Amino acid sequence: MPMGPFGIDPVIWAVLRLVIAVGLAVFLVLNGALAQIFLERKIQAVMQDRIGPYHTGPFGLLQTFADAIKLIGKEDIRARLTDAPFFLAAPAIVFSPMLASFVVLPFGPDFVGANLNVGLLYLTTLGSMTVLGIVIAGWASNNKYSLMGGLRSAGQLISYEVPQILALVTVVLYVGSLSMVDITNSQPGPLVNVLILPMAFVTYLIAALAETNRNPFDLPEAESELVAGFLTEYSGMRWGVFFVAEYGEVTVVSAIMATLWFGGWHGPGVDALPILGVLWFTLKTYMFVLLFMWIRATLPRLRIDQLMGFCWKVLIPLALVNIMATAVLILAFADPRLPLAIVNWILVAALVFGLPFTQRRRLLRFRARTKEHVAMRDVRLAP
Amino acid sequence: MFDFLEPFFFAVFSLGIIGAGVCVVMLRRITAQALLMALTFASMAGMFLLLGAETIALFQVLIYVGAITILILFGVMFTKQDDRGYALFFQKQTPWAAAFTLVIAVPVVFLAFSFKDAITPSGKGGDLIPLAGSLFTDYAFPFEIASVLLLAALVGAIVLVKRDEQ
Repeated sequence: MPMGPFGIDPVIWAVLRLVIAVGLAVFLVLNGALAQIFLERKIQAVMQDRIGPYHTGPFGLLQTFADAIKLIGKEDIRARLTDAPFFLAAPAIVFSPMLASFVVLPFGPDFVGANLNVGLLYLTTLGSMTVLGIVIAGWASNNKYSLMGGLRSAGQLISYEVPQILALVTVVLYVGSLSMVDITNSQPGPLVNVLILPMAFVTYLIAALAETNRNPFDLPEAESELVAGFLTEYSGMRWGVFFVAEYGEVTVVSAIMATLWFGGWHGPGVDALPILGVLWFTLKTYMFVLLFMWIRATLPRLRIDQLMGFCWKVLIPLALVNIMATAVLILAFADPRLPLAIVNWILVAALVFGLPFTQRRRLLRFRARTKEHVAMRDVRLAP
Repeated sequence: MFDFLEPFFFAVFSLGIIGAGVCVVMLRRITAQALLMALTFASMAGMFLLLGAETIALFQVLIYVGAITILILFGVMFTKQDDRGYALFFQKQTPWAAAFTLVIAVPVVFLAFSFKDAITPSGKGGDLIPLAGSLFTDYAFPFEIASVLLLAALVGAIVLVKRDEQ
């Protein structure tokens, strides 16, 4: 009789492996969401000069657990005029592609669910499927605010998929593979891809913020203008599933950035002790999760026309120029790293300094108005 | 041991394609139709997976489920909804539809039964490299024509909806 790993019958092992993998992914997603909600509250509190949760457990650590139990215990409310099958299916349509994404994330040298040779394409595809769930949630709620949220979401997510994929293409052109493991293995040293292809990284970071509905691109669920958009009619754990899915997506895009541009599991001591790779990968991933929280605490929300204009007039042209330059340089030079880095850093500089330059009239007007306000306030406050 | 899985999934995807396709035509609720169309596309992607064409399967989902269905829903949300399918009431399309279906279905059925030996996919390295190779060598010209056509359509759509700004 053939023996599989750990002396288990291969037939049983095939099924067992599936169960373990799915269980592990669910475990990671749920705990990641709990940890991220706690971190988000604490970090925003620190940035806004507050204390944040501190009553439940040491440092308020148990607050998210209490909230999760509260959400599960809530009554399952559904308004009568909602479109029942779609309303109930929408959270699952958002959640399951995110869960499936965890299959190809390379946690460590031997900790990969499946080393697909089209892993990056797989991740992009699943990322595009969540839009369907959000649009359906907005439609099925039978509520004008929700519908607006769904419409905004459709427009925004489809638009920002374009620069996102273009940014990924740049890295794939340079590395020459779509497999997450191959991409990680291509950058073992300190010379990680972000030093060579920073423009692709900046493009992807901005597009990923929009894809995950995070500030400053959280228009589909804008609380102040749309009463939380497509989430308006949801309550209890259905609402909770949307949020778990959102945090899971943040983890997935952070993991993609850590893998593609920051060397994934590579770090000191990984060759001697492969399990350290999981630690490095998690640290790098959470670095981006924290960056997302920092951005959320700092930036105001964009307007829908600014959002679309920025995508189609700034990000996509720059990403296309970047792809063209990358392809030409890879063909032209045997070792394209230095020219690629030069061109990419020039493009990053063009983005950072070009935006204030093209918006200089608006900035001047804005400054003048602020000065006016300050002057008026001084007049009012004068004795 | 797991040989039964492939026919099983083939049956599931076939049912998905045919059943959802029939529902798309028969149902009157346009959102349900759009979603079932997405299910048809996803089942097609499953068929491609069974054939060992992972890249095409993923592109199928990415473009048809992730983009085209969303655009259709986007259009549906912007139009006025009504429960009655009154537009179809005065139209008598059934004989024409039956005739066209027959004209297409008969050769397809004959073709389907003419296959003798199935080609098993090699499964080494997937279909990514052969796909890219044929797309950019043998089919480079149609590929470029298609992209120019899409660009023209894009520009045309922008021109069509652009209002005079004054």
